[in-house]
Amino acid sequence: MRSEIAVLLRGEVERIAPWTETPDPRRVALWLGVTVAGAAAFGAAMGWWRAPEQALCNAIKFPLVILLTSVGTALLNAMLAPLLGVNIGLRQSLLAVLMSFTIAGAILGGVAPLLAFTVWNTPPQADAGSVHHSHALVLVTIVAAIAFAGIASNLRLFRLLRKLGGGNRQALRVLLAWLASNLLLGSQLSWILRPFIGSPGMPVEFLRDQAFRGSFFEAFYYSLMRLFE
Amino acid sequence: MNPSDPSHARTPEERLLQASQGLPPPIPPAHNSAPDPEPADHPPVTGFFATAEALLRQPDRIVRQCGGGPTSLPATLTLIALGGALVYGLVVGTFSGHDQLWAAPAKVAAGLLVSALICLPSLYIFSSLSGSRARLGQVGGLLAGLVALLTLLLLGFAPVAWVFSQSTENVAAMGALHLAFFAIATGFGLRFLKHGFQSLGSDANGGLRVWTVIYVLVMLQMTTALRPFVGTAPTLLPTEKKFFLSHWGDHLNNPSRATDSRR
Repeated sequence: MRSEIAVLLRGEVERIAPWTETPDPRRVALWLGVTVAGAAAFGAAMGWWRAPEQALCNAIKFPLVILLTSVGTALLNAMLAPLLGVNIGLRQSLLAVLMSFTIAGAILGGVAPLLAFTVWNTPPQADAGSVHHSHALVLVTIVAAIAFAGIASNLRLFRLLRKLGGGNRQALRVLLAWLASNLLLGSQLSWILRPFIGSPGMPVEFLRDQAFRGSFFEAFYYSLMRLFE
Repeated sequence: MNPSDPSHARTPEERLLQASQGLPPPIPPAHNSAPDPEPADHPPVTGFFATAEALLRQPDRIVRQCGGGPTSLPATLTLIALGGALVYGLVVGTFSGHDQLWAAPAKVAAGLLVSALICLPSLYIFSSLSGSRARLGQVGGLLAGLVALLTLLLLGFAPVAWVFSQSTENVAAMGALHLAFFAIATGFGLRFLKHGFQSLGSDANGGLRVWTVIYVLVMLQMTTALRPFVGTAPTLLPTEKKFFLSHWGDHLNNPSRATDSRR
């Protein structure tokens, strides 16, 4: 069963496509396990820079963002797929998205030791003299790892959708629509579940006191406005 | 679905025309589905879930059934639209809570259904003027399909809308988000309508374009006529008559109003 993760990573769509037809509970449990474990390891490495407690919080929150995003957009994604040309149902679309998250989770889990090594070699957040340089280094490493995992998993998802849907245009349309919906909800969930990296001036906590105040996009907009002031 | 369907824009000119109408891409052929059997091979679509699924995955079946003899499908589609609108309205109402928990669902459902009713005669007239031979019942069935598909998609957006409604205090931002979801859902609904007319052998493109503008304007005005959907006001319905552009302009020119009336 574990060799199937390698099949997913290699993107062997001929073998993967039938897995969306008849879901095997053991296989789905394995995918969920890989997603959660990979995301938890990556999240923990991310939070370790601030404090061990932050690492523990992140190990819970990071997989939560992924799982809540896939559940929250499942119905919408299942509706958009046939409307945009890939005639698959709710179960198939949910499994396809879960598979892509499994690939992302496996990659994130794989690079988590690298991130941990980077963090280990980075001056601590409390070191005020170099905190800006360190923060930039950690942030770039995290963004690069997430971007790589995202690109790789979406390329695999595109190939799967093309196999299920039969055409490049249809698969691309559905992929872009799914990306948009996942980005919309995922970014807001990440905002609610902040902090992930943490800040030396603020206490380590699972959620900020005002977790449900504001939105990711409002914060982004106001940050952008400040740049032009 | 038939890949040779004339609704699929193949030339750059056709694609440009489509883009200029602001509609989603045409209903594409479903490559992985089994070849669509003849209409006689299809049992009639009955029940809420089967109708909802057919609307998403086999819109041709809905169109054929609407274009056939007397059927209960328009009633089923209307009930789907009503249910979907009530559920999405509840999500809209959770932004402010209290009275809005019942007022917003009622307003969303009333707004959608009244907009469709107001626009049904003009849809029939404009399609006929463009040469369509569709009967009023068939046109009504297609319009019910449009609203049902619209509300189904809104149901898909509901979890996302709920997360945002629990996070932001900004009435204008929340309103803009709901409008964006409505715009996407309406786009797919209008695509279904266009495809429906083409499947019934009615090339009502010209009239349909004019009607689309009218329908969108009516829906936008309904957001102002039945305000507030998001946020609260001293009265359930507005006491001041306004055009929707003027209402939006007031909010944008006076940003303090955007955050002070959530509850």
